[in-house]
Amino acid sequence: MEVVLASSSLDAGIGCWDLQTGAEQLRYKSCASPPHGLVCVGQRFLASSQLRDPSASSGSILYWSWSKPQVEVKSFPAEGIKPLAANREGTYIVGGGVSGDIFLWEVASGRQLKKWHAHYRAVTCLVFSDDDSLLISGSEDGSVRVWSLFMIFDDIRQKEANHLYEHNFSEHTLRVTDIMTGYGGCNAIIVSASEDRTCKVWSLSKGKLLRNVVFPSIIDAIALDPGEHVFYAGSRDGKIYIAALNAESTSNSNYGLHIIKSVSSHSHNALPLRKFQFRKMVCSAEEPYVLAYSLSNALHNKAVTCLSYCASGNLLISGSEDGIVRVWDAKTHDIVRVFKHAKGPVNNILLVRQDLNSNSWPNSQAPSRRHGSLLPPALEKYANPMDEDADVKVVMSLHSSCTKSMDASYSSSLVINNQIKELQQQGSSGATEMEVERLKLDCRSSMQMVQQWKKMYENLNQFCVNELLDDDQARISNGNSS
Amino acid sequence: MAAFNHFKNMYDVGLKPRLLRMLLKEHLPDDTNPFGNPAGISTVVSMIKTHGLLSESSVEESADQRICLLGVTCQECSSDRFLASYTLWFHKLLPFIQSPADSLFVKVATCASLSDMFTRLGGFPNQKKDGTSHAGKVIQPVLKLLNDDSSEAVSEGAVQLLCTIITCFPSSVHRHYDSAEAAVASKLLSGKCSADMLKKLAHCLALLPKSRGDEDSWSLMIQKILFLLNGHLNDVFQGLEEETKRNEATRLLVPPGKDAPASLGGHTFSGEVSDDSPRRSERLLMSSVSTLMLSCCTMLTSSYPVQVNIPVRSLLVLVERVLAVDGSLPQALLPFMTSMQQELICAELPVLHSCSLELLSAIIKGTRSQLLPHAASIVRLITSYLKRCALPELRIKVYSILRVLLISMGVGVAVCLAQDVINNVYIDLDPISSKVGHSSSIVSSKASSETLLQPGRRKRKHGTDTAYLEEQHDLGGLQVETPKNHSISPISLRVAALEALEALFMVGGALRSACWRSNVDLLLINTARNSLEQGWATEIVEPNESSASWVDFQLAALRALLASFLSSVHVRPPHLAQGLELFRRGKQETGTRLAEFCAHALLALEVLIHPRALPLTDLPPSSCNSFEEVSRKFSENVGSGGVKYGEPFAGGIQGIRNHNPSVEEDDLYESWLENGKETEAPDIIPSKNTRYNEEPPEALGGSDEENRSVDGTPGTRFQEKRGNEPATTSVDVRMRDNNDDIMVDADLLHKSIAQVKEPVSSKSATVPVSNDGSSGAEIVSATVVSGSGVSDHAGNVFASSKDVLAAEGDRSTTVGVHTSATTEMSEKTTGDAFDLDGEDPFPEIFDVEPDSDEGQD
Repeated sequence: MEVVLASSSLDAGIGCWDLQTGAEQLRYKSCASPPHGLVCVGQRFLASSQLRDPSASSGSILYWSWSKPQVEVKSFPAEGIKPLAANREGTYIVGGGVSGDIFLWEVASGRQLKKWHAHYRAVTCLVFSDDDSLLISGSEDGSVRVWSLFMIFDDIRQKEANHLYEHNFSEHTLRVTDIMTGYGGCNAIIVSASEDRTCKVWSLSKGKLLRNVVFPSIIDAIALDPGEHVFYAGSRDGKIYIAALNAESTSNSNYGLHIIKSVSSHSHNALPLRKFQFRKMVCSAEEPYVLAYSLSNALHNKAVTCLSYCASGNLLISGSEDGIVRVWDAKTHDIVRVFKHAKGPVNNILLVRQDLNSNSWPNSQAPSRRHGSLLPPALEKYANPMDEDADVKVVMSLHSSCTKSMDASYSSSLVINNQIKELQQQGSSGATEMEVERLKLDCRSSMQMVQQWKKMYENLNQFCVNELLDDDQARISNGNSS
Repeated sequence: MAAFNHFKNMYDVGLKPRLLRMLLKEHLPDDTNPFGNPAGISTVVSMIKTHGLLSESSVEESADQRICLLGVTCQECSSDRFLASYTLWFHKLLPFIQSPADSLFVKVATCASLSDMFTRLGGFPNQKKDGTSHAGKVIQPVLKLLNDDSSEAVSEGAVQLLCTIITCFPSSVHRHYDSAEAAVASKLLSGKCSADMLKKLAHCLALLPKSRGDEDSWSLMIQKILFLLNGHLNDVFQGLEEETKRNEATRLLVPPGKDAPASLGGHTFSGEVSDDSPRRSERLLMSSVSTLMLSCCTMLTSSYPVQVNIPVRSLLVLVERVLAVDGSLPQALLPFMTSMQQELICAELPVLHSCSLELLSAIIKGTRSQLLPHAASIVRLITSYLKRCALPELRIKVYSILRVLLISMGVGVAVCLAQDVINNVYIDLDPISSKVGHSSSIVSSKASSETLLQPGRRKRKHGTDTAYLEEQHDLGGLQVETPKNHSISPISLRVAALEALEALFMVGGALRSACWRSNVDLLLINTARNSLEQGWATEIVEPNESSASWVDFQLAALRALLASFLSSVHVRPPHLAQGLELFRRGKQETGTRLAEFCAHALLALEVLIHPRALPLTDLPPSSCNSFEEVSRKFSENVGSGGVKYGEPFAGGIQGIRNHNPSVEEDDLYESWLENGKETEAPDIIPSKNTRYNEEPPEALGGSDEENRSVDGTPGTRFQEKRGNEPATTSVDVRMRDNNDDIMVDADLLHKSIAQVKEPVSSKSATVPVSNDGSSGAEIVSATVVSGSGVSDHAGNVFASSKDVLAAEGDRSTTVGVHTSATTEMSEKTTGDAFDLDGEDPFPEIFDVEPDSDEGQD
């Protein structure tokens, strides 16, 4: 079951809908998340950083398990955390602090493994690369940095290197609003959006800017087409722009270089209006931005705040400031579904494949009895100074990929064959044992045979003797008679 | 005829009882013939298996005589029969392992049969309770068998049975946990078992905590094992390692203030060992160390029902400790060791190293992504070990660990490992095939490690400069003269090295690879070529041969070559042509693995040569429509191209709409088509000019005319904006062409900006024409150099401003010639039935279109 999750900056909880049927699922309570503050940790549970009173000294990160609406675990990191990210397997959670520090926790133990100063101002977005080995962070100061997690943990190499990051992209002039990475390991591209109204495409392998796309309005959300033909950019003017990556872009499109088109604005009765808008916008060659702007106003369109791409159905899911989540068909650009989250603005959308069987810790039929909860412990506020004497334990659930282990194989036929081989070679003690027994038996049967022969011989002897005697007697008697 | 009426063919069920009866009569021992031909029994087993004889019936009458057949029965018979009769069978079998009198064969067979029975029974979830109670009855006799000093075959059977019970009915072992641990441990440490038996015991010991299934048992077990290992190593390495190291290991295992874990199996072993002669005790210690390490491996890699705490640091320290010892004596400790002791240890060290590498590999597998905090120390450990290690088997293991590390930890680790992997691959691959000049740099880096080498050990492949070169020469000579006479192990070592290199390419082939790339590429193509020069090895199927053959080497070389081609992003792989030739030749070796792989490689490389940027659209309709499809595309492009349709065949509006002419947009689509029709045959230059003359004035005026807006100019505002943008159309051209290589050289980028900017700002009427030519040429050449292979005509410079429009009059004459040619060409193409996506094979056709558009306008 694929579900859409949406959270808001107001305390409206986390809405959850089945993407296929549109049915609303459990609503998880009390969540007021900042943008990029909602993550699903290894498909097992939900975690969200919380907007807090700026005066509060510590941040707050909450966990929800799939099955309960209430918050189950509360953690209070040392400072306010805005963006959160988890690696694919769900073993680490990283959080970006308002001071520009990045925190890295181990989920299973809650230990804070690392904290490093990443940016001069607050971190706004955090993304793991495709292979989970790199972390890409964006900040309010406009910089985008790429971190190798391996380096982060390698204290010796760190001292040799003059900086901790792998790449530092500083071409954005204002706050970075969203970052996405593409497919392809070290050849991947990074797309970043910023309040300077541009989206920039970076090469991970070269560490260079590949493309700069200027939009009519500020882009707050990006989603990548899985084929990386285009990317979708949700803008504050209520439109979703489609910009070219590998696609050939019409250099003279209405919106600017590389922007192929915009799909619609957010509207309630989308279908007919969309067509209308499209044509209108096509007509708006002279002043596209103005017209688009007025259109959005006329339709009460609010900014698009988050985007997500659902690969299984080629759906684009957008959240808007009007509190509505819309699902678009990425091919036809039609709205196929609308979810109403809340009055407040939606600012996070997650797409999660919920496997009903494995939505807990893998392989744990018996829930961990200690807390009565399946969730891992809370995240630590401070890193414990590494105790040299204590062994670092790694909490792991061991599960082998193949369910049928070698032990389950049957052995009788093997044993039988081995025994036969042994018998044929007649080397082993077992074989000798058998041999002895057989010889004994042979001996016995030979003895029997001898007995039989003896008996036969005796019989024969008897018979012959008798015959002879009889013959003689007969002859005598015959002689006598004759 | 009546005799043949009993069954139809070999699949008839009626055959089965007849066959069975025949088998029973001819091959099974009975009263008249108590010792039939043993080979006959194997015929029985194979017949039963192939024909599924027992799927419907049972041979209970034979069970008493041949217990093993009952095991086969358990495996083969139908579920119903099994469930109905297993209790009966169990009670028949039970006495055999309880009574001491029976012969060895009977006992072994009974163990195997019981094991099979429990395995089958474990498959029925509803029989859990019954199975557990049955299994509980077996445990004690089995442990007794283990404890008795009976023959190895029997204890092997007993261990096997115990393992099966632990896996299938864990709770039955629960009560006997401690005695089971003691039995297995004492057997394991007795030093009287063969290597095979030790493996089984290690496995059994590792499985044992499963019977309790809680976190504590697992932790306690691994702690006990580690503690015991630590003690053993303390004994073995006495005088060979620094005191600090052993203290650290002990401190990790037993933190100050805590008690040491109870010893394994509740015994004290150290006392027993010391009684023996030194030679025996050393060997005994070594064998238990490797067995215990194997236990750790199994514990780390097999599944466990609950989460556990893995003592990663203790394990790593253990591995590190073993790998650090190379048999050399630290200066300070010399007097504590006799030369005989040293000899003994050096003889056994490779086995220990091998085991600890296994353990390291198990740690990596077991902890998966949670290894990250320890990854750096592991990388340092194995790279420094690889510098010292000279035995092929061990190097192969290290390479495989490197491979696992690279693939699991991704780019981040690849950047750090690259240089080490490459240095070592250079050492292990034929050094002569690479340029000697390069190798010297490696040697110098290696020279420092020479001090660590233990004197008197095996010959090094690397050492001082001269030694290395000599060695190189030797190897080279050997290579040329008798290429097939290589001993097997170097080949498998090369295969391992190539595989590690392949993994490096897979993961980190693009990032910071510029410094080593070209040399490694050269090495790879030479290796591949050399491997194939000896002729394509015929595949000889040698089932017993576990190590690599020449074919494996060829395959590994080709695989690494393919990975290097595919991972090259910055420039075209320098040896692509030769590589393609190799793959083509390989493909002709019909019926071999090589041919299969070469076909795969050619497929993969095709995408490198024809990169694709496929839009999200449905497949084009069936081939009969292809003509229509193409012509429609063509007409749309022409029609909607507008004043300056910069990119041909835009994937945007047209690209998507083409394939989805959804109903509600038909009018729009048709309006495009109409426009298209107007200009569909733009072969007469004047007509284009007329059309151009009709429309542009309105466009220039900035009014909202429909036609103009179809893809209208962005106007002056847009132009201003473009001034700020570093990217230009020419960039697009490359981006489109190079699916893989979407990156654009900044230099090129700036150049083209300059070129584009200039004409726009200068407002000169003549510039666009010259610009068209010059920048086009520039970019085309640039693309060729960069290896993209497709030179998209870059003439589609931004012609968005009035200046260009003004210039059109001049341009039309020159461009018009182009146009007519193109139209012809594209008409020709539309005639061909190409039902593919049609975009990539014909970029040139559409390339020229913009010119035609511009020409028209």
